[in-house]
Amino acid sequence: MASRALLSRASRIKTKLETVLEAALLEVEDVSYQHAGHAAVKDSGANETHFNVSIVSSKFEGQTLVKRHRMVYELLSDELQSGLHALSITAKTPKEAAINISSKNS
Amino acid sequence: MLVAMAFSSQLVASPLSFSSRNYSQSVPKTVPVALLHRYYRPISFTKTNSNVAIASGRKISSIRCFSALTPELKITLDKVVTSQKVVLFMKGTNEFPQCGFSNTVVQILKSLNVPFETINILENETLRQGLKEYSNWPTFPQLYIDGEFFGGCDITVEAFKSGELQELLEKAMCS
Repeated sequence: MASRALLSRASRIKTKLETVLEAALLEVEDVSYQHAGHAAVKDSGANETHFNVSIVSSKFEGQTLVKRHRMVYELLSDELQSGLHALSITAKTPKEAAINISSKNS
Repeated sequence: MLVAMAFSSQLVASPLSFSSRNYSQSVPKTVPVALLHRYYRPISFTKTNSNVAIASGRKISSIRCFSALTPELKITLDKVVTSQKVVLFMKGTNEFPQCGFSNTVVQILKSLNVPFETINILENETLRQGLKEYSNWPTFPQLYIDGEFFGGCDITVEAFKSGELQELLEKAMCS
């Protein structure tokens, strides 16, 4: 429990997603400060409540977006029940990520 | 039944005496969205009352496994998500969204000129928790198209960019 408290939510999220999803690319960004004013967060303080998560993993092959998001939510259900408020998820397979990069470059 | 009592505003006044008047009547065949709030009235707390209500809520939850999704709420939600082609559970209202993600989805739907119903889950905490179980989705907004869960903000934005959302809405409107 002590070690858990020392790790930030961002690193906990990273660890959980890395181990299960075997992510080729994983980015976790704490954007709680952007939501500091809004209704549901105001009272509890804008501390580690909103994150952007970007994952590239072959485990997403053949899954609809809804299924991919649900996979991520299930892995982070502890966090969601302990103050994590919202997740902005980008979940791509390696193929899709490559297409994205090449269309950006061209 | 006890869980359903939490909706009643009478719980605030006398938390230990439950009135079952509102909840023994059967849900009518068609439930316009406006009735959703009549059957599941938001609780307005005063400071002292809220402690009592919350305390009694906690007591209940330790005795029974607390699920916000009662059978009655499930039936009502089944009707609500099919009452219109496009239903959005969001934070805030159509005119005054109270969250950036909810606002994004509202703006997308408005720009596509589709008629849609919005329900403000901030008004009713039990509805909010029940919906998370009902949709198997822990966050809001939640968009339902043609009675089926479509996704949250990210998914709606992706589908809007790819044109998938417009296609799906056209199909839903024409059917």
